Amino acid sequence: MPKYLLIYRDSAEPQQPQPSPEEMQGFLKMWDGWFQQFEGKIVDGGDGLLPTGRVLKPGGVVADGPYVEAKEMIGGYSVVSANSYDEAIEIAKHCPIAVIGGAIEIRQLAEYN
Amino acid sequence: MNSTSQLVEHFFRHEYGRLVALLTRDFGVRNLELAEDVIQSAMSRALVVWPRSGTPTEPSAWLYRTAKNLAIDNLRRQKLAQGFLDAAIAVSEESSTTIATLPHFDSEIGDETLRLLFLCCHPAIAVDSQVALALKTVSGFGVHEIALGLLTTSANIEKRLTRAKEKMRELHLELSEMTSNEVLERREAVLSTIYLIFNEGYAATTGDVPIRLDLCWEAIRLAKMVAAHPVADSPAAHALVALLLLHTARMDGRLDTEGGVVLLAQQDRTRWDGGLMREAMAYAQNAARGAELSRYHIETAIAWEHCRAPDFSGTNWERIVELYRLLLDRFATPMIRLNAAVARSYVEGPEVGHDLLLKLADSDRKQVRPWWDCCMAQLNERRGQHNSAWSHWLDALALATAEPQRAFIRKQIERLSIKK
Repeated sequence: MPKYLLIYRDSAEPQQPQPSPEEMQGFLKMWDGWFQQFEGKIVDGGDGLLPTGRVLKPGGVVADGPYVEAKEMIGGYSVVSANSYDEAIEIAKHCPIAVIGGAIEIRQLAEYN
Repeated sequence: MNSTSQLVEHFFRHEYGRLVALLTRDFGVRNLELAEDVIQSAMSRALVVWPRSGTPTEPSAWLYRTAKNLAIDNLRRQKLAQGFLDAAIAVSEESSTTIATLPHFDSEIGDETLRLLFLCCHPAIAVDSQVALALKTVSGFGVHEIALGLLTTSANIEKRLTRAKEKMRELHLELSEMTSNEVLERREAVLSTIYLIFNEGYAATTGDVPIRLDLCWEAIRLAKMVAAHPVADSPAAHALVALLLLHTARMDGRLDTEGGVVLLAQQDRTRWDGGLMREAMAYAQNAARGAELSRYHIETAIAWEHCRAPDFSGTNWERIVELYRLLLDRFATPMIRLNAAVARSYVEGPEVGHDLLLKLADSDRKQVRPWWDCCMAQLNERRGQHNSAWSHWLDALALATAEPQRAFIRKQIERLSIKK
């Protein structure tokens, strides 16, 4: 079955209010629910990414900070298996990131090897 | 894999308060902001790790360890006072090894949380800031949740918190330096802050209802915590718990199914919570141990008279008037005078109540409007003066801001317009 990489894009706006502990417990419940709902479909739960990073540019130039596009920053990822993009989108739609209004980029793995 | 469904309700919120208390003990109150930052980060980390690897068997210890390590990393980076840091790390490493094994973990933390609450109620911190600070650090509410609960803006809450924290820094307040004497001295301030938190949740019926109920339950939790503590406890603390439970027991009956206001006389008393009333009475019995007679004792006795009355007409108003007299001897606030006048009107007639309300000086009246106007309107109607009743309701409507209250007043105006 094809595999898809879900790339979680958070808002890079620093002005976002921090979620309260109560809301965070709500998110935790949502994540748990998602993992349970799609058990067997989630190949790799993935991880979060720290907000720090480096960008290596051609010619060996190293810049500080992650590569930030427009107003979004990659905050984490997961890998799921699905029969089609439609199914992968369906899984992503139920992911807490999408539910709370974040963007998710969905890319099929080429699986060349 | 352990599911997060095993976590109790409000686990993160309550955990937040415990963690602030623990980390400010480890790293000092001067690092309060750092403590709050690393707790936020530790909880964010839990969101990633727990669903993927399972909830740890000791989620509290996991959060504490994670937050503490983040704090140590942060302080190392800041290269702050190295000598102090080493000592702090040694202490916190010691406590983290014992954390999972000590059976009195909870009571120890309860202690730290209470200390933090007492610190928030420092006399140099303005009262409205005390409330915001306690809700943020001790109770783990988010800034926007506090704003919703207190009917103000997040920016305003931020301002109050900043001011309170500046004050704490200025005074070099530290938990470890608080003496038992200071605890005793500050007991009253702590109880009145808790009472204020409860009233904020209880009084206005506008805004986000679940959040406001949360404030009431949080006030009860804090009051119980004070009452359960060997040093902080006092008969007044038990009386306060009893009072808050009795108010909460009647909460359901105060609104109809559409969320409209229902007056005491019309409330369906079967909707009052008998279980909470019984719990309240157990606290009231403990409150009667000493010689102390606090305002909470008297207010509990008044609330109890209402709770035990089979219906409105069966209320023992003579006893209630007597209790208000006791209360007025000690705390003659405009609100208590207003309530006492209404109580007396049920014993001595509406003329007496009406005259008492008129005697309230303008400056006092101002503090209790539009309730003063509502009471005047009702007393005038009972005196048969429908025209004045009607005009007092109009005054009340001009001053009322909460929508359910406005709807109630409009209904009275319509009703009287027909009668006139």
